[in-house]
Amino acid sequence: MNRYLPALVIGTALLVAVPYLLSQGLVNASIQMLIAALFACAYNLLCGQAGMLSFGHAAYFGIGAFATVHAMNAIGGAGLLPTPLLPLAGALGGLCFGALAGYFATKRSGTYFAMITLAIAELVHSLAPHLKGLFGGEAGISTTRMPAWGFTFGSTNEVYYLTLAWVLLSLALLFLFTKTPLGRLALGLRENSHRLRFLGYDTHRLSVIVFAISAMFSGVAGSLQVISNEAANYAIFDPTVSAAVVLNTYIGGVKVFLGPALGAGLMTFFGYAISDLTRSWLLYQGTLFVLVMMFMPTGLAGLFGLFGQLRRRFGWGGLLPLATLSLAAALLLSGAGAFVIEMLQRALSQDYQSMATLPGATPWPQIPLFGTSWSPVAASTWLTPIALFAVGGLLAWLARRQMRVLVQREEAAASGASFDQTLAEKTA
Amino acid sequence: MSDAILSLRGLRKSFGATEIIRGVDLDIHRSERHAVIGPNGAGKSTLFHLISGNLKPTAGTITFDGHPIAGKTPQAVNHLGLSRSFQITNIFPKLTVFENLRLAVMRPRGLQYTFWKFIDRDAETRRQVERLLELVRLQKRAYTLAGEMAYSEQRSLEIAMTLASDPKLILLDEPMAGMNKEETAYTANLIREVTAGRSLLIVEHDMEVVFALSDRVTVLVYGQPIATGTPEAIRSNAAVKEAYLGEEVAA
Repeated sequence: MNRYLPALVIGTALLVAVPYLLSQGLVNASIQMLIAALFACAYNLLCGQAGMLSFGHAAYFGIGAFATVHAMNAIGGAGLLPTPLLPLAGALGGLCFGALAGYFATKRSGTYFAMITLAIAELVHSLAPHLKGLFGGEAGISTTRMPAWGFTFGSTNEVYYLTLAWVLLSLALLFLFTKTPLGRLALGLRENSHRLRFLGYDTHRLSVIVFAISAMFSGVAGSLQVISNEAANYAIFDPTVSAAVVLNTYIGGVKVFLGPALGAGLMTFFGYAISDLTRSWLLYQGTLFVLVMMFMPTGLAGLFGLFGQLRRRFGWGGLLPLATLSLAAALLLSGAGAFVIEMLQRALSQDYQSMATLPGATPWPQIPLFGTSWSPVAASTWLTPIALFAVGGLLAWLARRQMRVLVQREEAAASGASFDQTLAEKTA
Repeated sequence: MSDAILSLRGLRKSFGATEIIRGVDLDIHRSERHAVIGPNGAGKSTLFHLISGNLKPTAGTITFDGHPIAGKTPQAVNHLGLSRSFQITNIFPKLTVFENLRLAVMRPRGLQYTFWKFIDRDAETRRQVERLLELVRLQKRAYTLAGEMAYSEQRSLEIAMTLASDPKLILLDEPMAGMNKEETAYTANLIREVTAGRSLLIVEHDMEVVFALSDRVTVLVYGQPIATGTPEAIRSNAAVKEAYLGEEVAA
């Protein structure tokens, strides 16, 4: 814990400084990143720590959101709670619905558990537009943040600080939870729930409690979303919300406590930064997920561990060239991939197709991309990604070779040492 | 040796048409070390599964310490004071040895739904875990992942987890499988020590251990007990020799 304290203090200080450093648009994006980070960590309590893969966590996020909307609109719009305490309504909503849904879902494990959570989320998603009073029909429910405790909550910055405070508090509680008896038992549930039963534990009850706590913090995340947006709509129950939290959590890494927060923060930021530039954001998200699962099952957070491990093994001198080569290769290969995807997306889009077939139009007009115009039929256009692929592949190959050299050197040093030892023993 | 802590009456278990346990009547006395032996497939492990709540009997009754427990859940049976180990090592492989034992110790200390205090601060839990580690000689392995230990060490951990709840009756299913001579001798001695004042029901293939450790032995063949008695009586029993020991010699 103390080992990470400096990093935690610096991280928190940077988060506090965000409104002074970044534009309003980016502060808004930061709010979304924080909310996604909390949601992913809440999800990871269930998925990573207790080993229950839920495919329907949007339900608890959404219930938390709607509980908050109703709390805000209660008493003629005055609100049931002062604005800074509103996430408690989301927490309560998530907890209650989580306990109810969790009671049924945790009756089964593995695939069946996943299917039940999916079914419950779909049930809520399809019911919501029909329940006008509860979920506001298709239009949803809007609300207004009320001033409280001397804050107007009118500016993005005030909302940012409110969100930050709740996210940090929730993350701290989620972390401390892992240190409690119940938190340790969550790991036991993941590893071997059969054995827990023979140690005298009621595994169903334990699972329901862990499920409900995960849902409670998901509810807090949903609540913060509503406070930020001042509206909630049944789209919050969409399966893509459930899918995103699974992808974010695994991309970040389930084995490290803050891994899911990292994954969710990064993916949300990319979603914000890139969604204006491309229409293929979901494709990139999916591709990234597949690549992470294939080549780094420990997720992005696992990279830090790997980095430290390699540094201890080979020292900075060995690691830096290796890391530079790998990073350059990764950048070039993803650049090539992005070029092909964007080019094809534009060339195959309906707009372009209809423009190209207009009477009198030039066949295959130029396509603007990355600041220049490219002809989709010119060889040079397609040579660009091929060249990027080739150079990237070459660098990746060099990185692999560098790794082999380092390992050989290490082995040589080890056998040399043992050779020296036997020599010393013989002479002695 | 007054009353029985565990009584089985007319116990039967079928899987489909196959009857594995075909009418077992058996009494385990208080403070008795009782071994069940028998050839492979005799139903020894199934018998353990029935007693510990892992399987529901098809017919018959099981009475433990005055409570009918046939068909009860494993945790209910455990709460009454019955703890078991498994033939196939059943631990938390990706958690440390310390963590494995802590999970075993927490329940009898009433710590399971507790989320308002830190487990590291609970000195009594730590003390008990350390005592168990010392008992099975795993102190140096406390922070090793359980699944990365040698098989015999995992068996020792399994025994320690079984002892954690301070049970009245201990069921050990082949605790010495995979141990060498020295480890077997140590573990046999350990089992003798820790079961003093408790009752023990043990399945074991090492006949030397069985005859040295047990007060009484039951021979199970094809789901039925063919003899129960002191080790000497079992050794000289003609039916046992023919049905079981004879087979072993022939094999």
